[in-house]
Amino acid sequence: MFRTIKSKITVISILMLTFSVFAFGFHTIFSRMKTKQLMVQNYRASINTYFEEISDSISRLEDNLKSLSLIGSLFYKTDRSYQLTNKAITKIFESYPETLGGGIWFIPYKLDKNKKYVCFYAYRDKNNKIIIDKNFASNKYDYPNKSWYKEIISQITPEYNVVWTKPYFENQGSYTMMITVGTGIYVDGELVGLATVDWEISSVIEKISKMKPLDKSFSMYKGGKKIKNSFALFGNKIQDYIIATTDPYLDKEKLVGHSLTKAPWYAENLFGITYITYHGKKYIPFVFENKNNGLVLIICVPKSEMFRSVDEFYSIMIIIMLLFVFITLAIVYYGINKYLINPIDKLMSIANKIGKGEDVQIKIEKPEEFAQLASTFDKMKEDIKNITKERQRIDSELSVARTIQSSSLPNVFPPFPDSDEFDIFASMKPAKEVGGDFYDFYFIDDDNFMFLIADVSGKGIPAALFMMTVKTLINNISQLGYSPKEMIEEINRKICKSNSQGLFITMFVGIVNAKTGKITYINCGHNKPLIKTENNDFKYLNIDSNIVLGAFDNAKYNVYEAQLNRGDIIFTYTDGITEALNKYGEFFGEDRLLESVNYLKEENINAIARKISSDILKFTDLVSQSDDLTMLIFKYNGPSQIETFKGLALQENYKNFYTWLHEICKKWNLDNNLANKLDMCCEEIYANITFYAYPEKQGDIEVNIEKKNKKIILQFKDNGIKYNPLEKPDPDLNLPPQERPLGGLGIFMVKEISDNIEYEYLAETNILTLKFNI
Amino acid sequence: MQIEKKYIGIDCLYIKAFGRLDLDSAVEYGTTINNAIEDSVEYIKNLVLDFSEITFISSFGLKVILELYKQMSERGSMKLTNVSEQIRNSFKIVGFDKFLIFE
Repeated sequence: MFRTIKSKITVISILMLTFSVFAFGFHTIFSRMKTKQLMVQNYRASINTYFEEISDSISRLEDNLKSLSLIGSLFYKTDRSYQLTNKAITKIFESYPETLGGGIWFIPYKLDKNKKYVCFYAYRDKNNKIIIDKNFASNKYDYPNKSWYKEIISQITPEYNVVWTKPYFENQGSYTMMITVGTGIYVDGELVGLATVDWEISSVIEKISKMKPLDKSFSMYKGGKKIKNSFALFGNKIQDYIIATTDPYLDKEKLVGHSLTKAPWYAENLFGITYITYHGKKYIPFVFENKNNGLVLIICVPKSEMFRSVDEFYSIMIIIMLLFVFITLAIVYYGINKYLINPIDKLMSIANKIGKGEDVQIKIEKPEEFAQLASTFDKMKEDIKNITKERQRIDSELSVARTIQSSSLPNVFPPFPDSDEFDIFASMKPAKEVGGDFYDFYFIDDDNFMFLIADVSGKGIPAALFMMTVKTLINNISQLGYSPKEMIEEINRKICKSNSQGLFITMFVGIVNAKTGKITYINCGHNKPLIKTENNDFKYLNIDSNIVLGAFDNAKYNVYEAQLNRGDIIFTYTDGITEALNKYGEFFGEDRLLESVNYLKEENINAIARKISSDILKFTDLVSQSDDLTMLIFKYNGPSQIETFKGLALQENYKNFYTWLHEICKKWNLDNNLANKLDMCCEEIYANITFYAYPEKQGDIEVNIEKKNKKIILQFKDNGIKYNPLEKPDPDLNLPPQERPLGGLGIFMVKEISDNIEYEYLAETNILTLKFNI
Repeated sequence: MQIEKKYIGIDCLYIKAFGRLDLDSAVEYGTTINNAIEDSVEYIKNLVLDFSEITFISSFGLKVILELYKQMSERGSMKLTNVSEQIRNSFKIVGFDKFLIFE
């Protein structure tokens, strides 16, 4: 799977990218964490600043309150100038811009036994102008019965103290959340009235709750985004109540004014990023406390909101990074394909084409390495082309050589169609390469016929050339009239002389006297031939083998003599036959050869040769032939046979005649059909001679029968009146039976049956010669 | 030559001969059959020649068969039975296979 360069490089680049993704990922996660911490810190710092501002304004409020209280006591103690007091109040309010409104409220009937309501009140209008409102000193407003009044007066102590009311909504004019801070006005230790300052709180809380992280390093924050769904809680820790809240749940439960520390998410001393879970949502609480007056501000920011922009930023970062990874991978993949894989593929296909012998243009321009490789390929292709051309030339020359070699062996069968004394058949099936097998046969004198089969050691051109030399040499020497022993020794000497390569030859030679059947064998280290003597199966011929030819120039050779009878067959072969290999690496061997040669019980040598060839082909199956397959079969038929019948031409002798004829047919192994033909013709001619040749006196008839050259030749001789039966016209075979003459059938039959018929009259003798093919 | 003869039914003569039908035996074969036809009380119309034991036929044998055929075709018919391939071949050479009836 990972064997190709392509996959290897791909895997390596994937690994590298994975490492860098991990590194970058770790960095991202870490920096995101850091960023979040920083954001929280920044946020806390910015809210803290604001909280301090608030604290500051609260102390100023308290200062304002103190001043009011002082004015109240002065009014009580002095001439009670309303005008001066109003002026003083206006002046104070001008110097405390946070103050929304405020006033001095005397306890009813305290200042004047006839006056229930004595109070001063001023407020800031929309144009930031201080307005003195005198409408509060009436039973219409009835301040002593207001909740804030009661709340403050009930908690006031003789020591200076500031009482914060619970927040309430003021519906005089604007509908805003208010908080009133009050303190007592003491004159000589007696409480005479209250001084109060109003503070509008909703806007403060809203401002705080909408604060945003201020880290300017985040470009995504340019312009800013509001943090939604955060809420704030403002309370007094010392008196333990909630001053104000934007928490929708607390609002709903009307917890304002109730215990601060018992609020569900009240937390203090929180450091770093701690989350609280409130109504199924995660919040980051920011807690601020003023130790002097116990004011506590808690702002809860939803975690998702707080870090929304950071998360979005990092999400985009991750997407960009992944895109970058994929693009890099794609580029690497494309690069590998274009500059590595494609050139390799191209070279591969070119190499394949070159292997198939196609002429291809090899051209790769880049990258440089492949361009060089391609030019090397190109050169190699040219070299291969030249080598192949040379090889083809040699192959065609070898093929010519093989043809010359094969055709130098006698290959027309039967070689002597007129000669009946023997049959000979030989074949050589050459192996792919030219080899050294050969056979030859010829008459070395009028009577003696020599046949030989030989195998030159080695293969190829040297063996083939040597074989030709040896073949010619043997032919020449054999014609010189040596005895077989002298001949073979002379041949050996000559071979030794012309053998510079140290090649040698195995050979089996037979020299037969065609007339007598006397045979001389010489075996020069060759495979044992097979011999079939009359009515027996083939057997290996056991004669001592001599040394191979071409080994020692003074070698002595033994020759063996034997008598061949009619029908004896000698089968000679080379080791290509016995050493033919099958796919299991087994030899055809001598046993299989013996079995094969005996299989047919056949006397026709061509049929024997065909049987052996087909058996070897079957045995080797598709295994290619490694050596020449050569065989030579010789069958001795003996000289031609002739028999003669002689007697008086009388019908009484006819039975003797045909008995004689039948005996010959049997002796010569003629088949029934031929015997019947001979019988029919002989009877007719015998009868003709008996009836017509000698009309006046008795005379002789002589019949010669001869088996020669696959023919039976019958010759009838008589000294009777001259008569040529061939002149008699043929009967008309198409006549209706009633019109057919009874005579004239016989000679017609003879003409029809015999393959050849001739008549001659010589020395007052009628000679009729009939020939029949066997 | 050994010749068997049999009358079958009223008008049929059956002949079975043994051996060669040649120069020596053809005349005897023909004469025997002719006599058997002549000697018959009934008028012979059909002749059956059994060739199962005939080993050879020469031109003399053929001549006799032609004579018998001519004679019998005036009376009725003639057939040859169990004719070996070799003998049938001899009939063919002289064109007798065109009219002889083999069974």
